[in-house]
Amino acid sequence: MRNPAGWAALTLFSLAFFAFIYAPLFVIIGYSFNSNPVNMMIWERFTFDWYTGLLGLSDRATDVSNRAAYVESTDQMLAALRTSLTVAVVTTTISTVIGTATAIALARYRFRLRGVYNGFLMLPMMMPDIVLGIGLLIFFVTIGMNLSMLTIIIGHCTFLTSYVFIIVQARIAGIDPALEEASADLGASEWVTLRKVLLPQLAPGILGGALLAFVISMDDLVITYFISGTGDTTLPVFIFGMIRRGVKPEINAIATLIILASVVIAALGLWLRSRKTD
Amino acid sequence: MALKRQSVVLGVLLAPVTLFLGIFFLLPLLIIALFSVLTPGLYGGVEWAFYHWNYGRIFGWADGLNEIYEPIYLRILLRSLAFAALTVVLTLALCYPVAFWVSRLSERWRLVFLFLITLPFFCSLIVRLYAWLLILKPSGLLNTVLLWTGVISQPLEILYTPTAVVLGMVYVMVPFMFLPLYAAVDNLDRAQVEASLDLGANRVQTFLKVILPQTLPGIMGGAVIVFIPSVGNFVVPDVLGGAKGLMIGNLVEQQFLSARNWPFGSALSMIIMTVVLTVLMLSVTRARKAGGHA
Repeated sequence: MRNPAGWAALTLFSLAFFAFIYAPLFVIIGYSFNSNPVNMMIWERFTFDWYTGLLGLSDRATDVSNRAAYVESTDQMLAALRTSLTVAVVTTTISTVIGTATAIALARYRFRLRGVYNGFLMLPMMMPDIVLGIGLLIFFVTIGMNLSMLTIIIGHCTFLTSYVFIIVQARIAGIDPALEEASADLGASEWVTLRKVLLPQLAPGILGGALLAFVISMDDLVITYFISGTGDTTLPVFIFGMIRRGVKPEINAIATLIILASVVIAALGLWLRSRKTD
Repeated sequence: MALKRQSVVLGVLLAPVTLFLGIFFLLPLLIIALFSVLTPGLYGGVEWAFYHWNYGRIFGWADGLNEIYEPIYLRILLRSLAFAALTVVLTLALCYPVAFWVSRLSERWRLVFLFLITLPFFCSLIVRLYAWLLILKPSGLLNTVLLWTGVISQPLEILYTPTAVVLGMVYVMVPFMFLPLYAAVDNLDRAQVEASLDLGANRVQTFLKVILPQTLPGIMGGAVIVFIPSVGNFVVPDVLGGAKGLMIGNLVEQQFLSARNWPFGSALSMIIMTVVLTVLMLSVTRARKAGGHA
């Protein structure tokens, strides 16, 4: 930069930009420790009540007169967390297998419909959530399939497969096919070459794709919202419903925990990436 | 037909994705297309008879008997397009200078700020929106601070207005704009910028003739990635815009979950899908023409 004043202004603008991104998250964290249940924005004193309340241990609930209903909603939230984790683990596994197989097929084979597949696999990522969500809803209802955890899992896999595909494909692009050719020349079958030569080299990419799929699955709101039945619901859908009914201090506590979890996962992703380049 | 050995493995690799996406992605989209031209059933569901009034209600023809043309639907569609375009412009205006700033930092700080911009990707969307609910509501942080400092004497009514919706969309979309933009800015040929300045071009000329053309692929990429999820967004207008049918996404949700008019909701979804596919096609052909730099 030739102009120090210009650089200072740019620095100020950029720091304000990052403050804009992070300030709202710190607002939630700050107020999750505020004891004031009526107006969260007026600081009363420091408390862990909303956290212990999440586990049903606290004597204080937002709606003090209706403690039974409160405990029930806590149970529902824990059930939603369990559903989210189950769905995320299963969908990550399925979409990682399908996405990786697809990436290998498109990177290592030449066939007529290759271009079509490449374009087609972009669509589930670019399709607006709401369109995919209602499409799946009509589809499941039309074929007479009850909305349940299974429909959520199917729904997540439709778009997560594409994300895994993209990540793994990027990784394959950086792998020299010479090793695989050598393996084939030395008499290994195509299948053995795939498993013993290509897959080990792909492992970091597959892991990265799986991590991304897990995070997106845990966070998906719109598609799950349309295809989760009355029984199983995921954490984002549960929180969405809670927010629609009004703001409660417990949401701050659960939101803070989610923020912390995402920081841990993001750091894990960073660590994986830095190890990969070693 | 002589089946080559490689076709067997290829078949095994491709069968799952073909079957899965064929059944659970392509088929649902085709069903939306089909439902959009079917007759709404009396109590939800559909009757299997061709019916074009679903589109007529939106675009201006109706029999006036079963369906009435309501200009409000077209207004909501245009508003959605306008909000999405505004979100693109605002995220671009915010991210462009910051992308430059980050690209000029030392290696270590660059990595720190790049990590900070990717972190929100890992953080729940609904949690990030909820934060703005806390900030913008009448008794929220913003009003509390402004009242306390005496800037205002009456609480501002920001929540449940279009301003809140656009603000929320900008907030959740900023990382999506930043990354493609940063990639373009980081690849900028600085020697050319220096040369342009040394040879007497002023800052504005250098920006318009050197920097802008070189970063255009990043701008276009970011614009497409931000525009597409913004048009059909229903969570942001739902949480920050109130229960009014503010954007086309809210309208779709209402048709499916409360009004129970699935064919009309399908017609609205077809419109969202058409807008998105058009934008995608345009961006792809543009990128091809520009030499495939996207």
